[in-house]
Amino acid sequence: MMTSLRRGRPYRLLASGLGAALLLSACMGGTKDDGKDAAAGYDPKANVEITWWTGQTEEFEKVAEQLAAEYHTAHPNVTIKVSSGAPTTDDLLTKLSAGFTGGSYPDISYAYGNWAGDLGASGKTQDLTSYVNDPSFKWTEIPEAARLVATTNGKVIGIPALVDNLALIYNKKLFDAAGMTYPTDEWSWDDFRAAAKKLTNPATKTYGTAYSVSGSEDTTWHLWPMLWQHGGKILDGTKPAFNSDAGVAALETLRQMAVDDKSMYLDQTDEKYGPLFNSGHVAMMLSGPWSLLEIKEAKLAYGVADLPGYNGDHQTVSGPDLWVLFDHNDVNRAGASRDFVKWLTSAEIDPKWNLAVGNLPLRSSEKDTPEFANYIKEYPGGQKFFDNLANAKQARPTLPGYEEMSRNVGDAIAKVLQGQAQPKEALDEAAKKSANSIGS
Amino acid sequence: MAVTFAVTPRSQSAVPAKRGPRGRALRRGLTGWAFAGPATVIVVGLSIFPAVWAFFISRAKWNGISPATMVGWRNYQQLVQDPDMIAAAQHTLILTAIFVPGSIVLGIVIAVALNQKIRLIGFYRTCIFVPYVASAAATGILANFVFNPQFGAANDILRHLGLPQSQFLENQHLAIYLICLILLWGEVGFTTVIYLAALQDIPRELVEAAVVDGASRWRVFRHVTLPELRPVTIFVAVWQTITAMQLFDLIYTTTRGGPLNSTQTVVYYIYELAFQTQRLGYGAAAAYLLFIVTLVLSLGVILYGRRRGSEVF
Repeated sequence: MMTSLRRGRPYRLLASGLGAALLLSACMGGTKDDGKDAAAGYDPKANVEITWWTGQTEEFEKVAEQLAAEYHTAHPNVTIKVSSGAPTTDDLLTKLSAGFTGGSYPDISYAYGNWAGDLGASGKTQDLTSYVNDPSFKWTEIPEAARLVATTNGKVIGIPALVDNLALIYNKKLFDAAGMTYPTDEWSWDDFRAAAKKLTNPATKTYGTAYSVSGSEDTTWHLWPMLWQHGGKILDGTKPAFNSDAGVAALETLRQMAVDDKSMYLDQTDEKYGPLFNSGHVAMMLSGPWSLLEIKEAKLAYGVADLPGYNGDHQTVSGPDLWVLFDHNDVNRAGASRDFVKWLTSAEIDPKWNLAVGNLPLRSSEKDTPEFANYIKEYPGGQKFFDNLANAKQARPTLPGYEEMSRNVGDAIAKVLQGQAQPKEALDEAAKKSANSIGS
Repeated sequence: MAVTFAVTPRSQSAVPAKRGPRGRALRRGLTGWAFAGPATVIVVGLSIFPAVWAFFISRAKWNGISPATMVGWRNYQQLVQDPDMIAAAQHTLILTAIFVPGSIVLGIVIAVALNQKIRLIGFYRTCIFVPYVASAAATGILANFVFNPQFGAANDILRHLGLPQSQFLENQHLAIYLICLILLWGEVGFTTVIYLAALQDIPRELVEAAVVDGASRWRVFRHVTLPELRPVTIFVAVWQTITAMQLFDLIYTTTRGGPLNSTQTVVYYIYELAFQTQRLGYGAAAAYLLFIVTLVLSLGVILYGRRRGSEVF
């Protein structure tokens, strides 16, 4: 009897383990959207508790907590549980995916714009399309590129939390030392290349410009504005289209600087070129407003200009982040989260959030606020970045699978810039690898 | 008959007669589970269950967020044709082929050297072991400082010697070998300590007998010491193979798989698939392939060891 029991145990254990696994594999499914408005019949007076994942570091997290407390004072029936949600913003997606499986996810979460496609496909987001199109929301005050990123599969799933863009930041001292004039908004990529070549000096380890070759999204998204300027597209429907002549021409420009001129510092990590620029070893970098804080701390004399252009087209790329709103089948929670985010992103409150922590203002109407005047004073490049928002005319795709395609394109760019491939073959290969990535 | 008599009273008389044998068995079972339960829950919940679940994930196309699609064995079929996977496997193979024999040979050599009666031996032994105590992450960050092509110490030394500068970890042909070197530096303390213990376990009589028989120092080493070290060597080989095949932290802190994916090992590729590009199903399939290969390799070494008559596992 004992022996047969003993033999039975492992089998039973295995069987119950398998059973539980089968049960959980059911959790790998998403939820189907029922097409109903998540906040239909919402009672603004109801007592609710909503969870807000800010995705911010400690310093900014405190600002968020103050704002939540401020909102609670004005609306005592709404309690907001604020936390950063994850140790870093990058980890939020993993936390969200674990939360979906475990059934405990927040009402509002910070999200990178390139997650929008995947989050939208989860079926757990609210559809805010009609909510934001209400005139009182003033949706069109938010830059178009950011609005596009918040929209996936025709539905608005969140409200932009942060807007930015790429521009040309240059070190004035290095230009003065070389006796060259500063970059202008009218520069072509040929001007940029010629200047980078002149500013490069192997003896002092100074490079004209820098580019990340880590193969990450940082590598990839710097190419997109150049592709658009040449009239190219990232996707044609769900098929990769970046390997067109436009894409090849864009990448060829970069290749000439990296391989032929050797005027480009190639950063294997994403993390070195910023500090190198701040220490005066890189004369020009293509970066966004998030760099301004560290440049200021390095006490560098810098200027900002529009991206160099092709045929007079100087469009740039924007990497907006979002407040994504989730549905918990509770109209009051859904409604309260909407109203809170509307308040947070309003022209009255946003200066206390984005401008206070050194980001660009979310809405065009904020340009006359005293907070914006302070921001410009503190970050002299801020005005240029704000104006440059108008040059962000297209958005990165918000389809599931973009991450995978981005990795393939990043690898292709890295290969070309390190002289291991020609633009055409590398981009063709990336397109072939990504053929089935998008949309499924 | 006598046996039955001897056993049954012992197992039944200890219990009050009112309780039937069933209640007693239940109590004994419960007591047993009270001891084994917590550990079982941890092992089943944190090891076996995730492993089983990962198997289900490996047969799906899933990004952790949208609904999963079951795709059968397609992930596995794609993996064996995936050029990135094949390249990652090659890098892991190079790493293992250099690191495992390297750490064994270096470990024996250093252990023999540290087994002498010389002054400050404790200090030398500590020096060798310290890098092993440091985490691989710290080792990696340190290596970044040393091998930075622009500002690192290694290029400074080359410059003073009048030798050409090197890109080190940023050179795609050199990086994987440098990783081997850094890994060896960090891990050789472990093999040294193991071999040092094994050397001190060798019976003195054996060595003395060989010396009395007129064997030279080399022949004593070759025919007495080395055979005595064989069981330890098999253990070290399996252990270091697993270390090399699961290497992640050092690569994460130095090259992140670059330049041009030339240091992307299988484990790093799995990390990239699952947690960078959110291809959980494909990543889980790659993890299962790695598990099977590690299992087969370990079994192979153990069987080899058993056939040679030394059981270490």
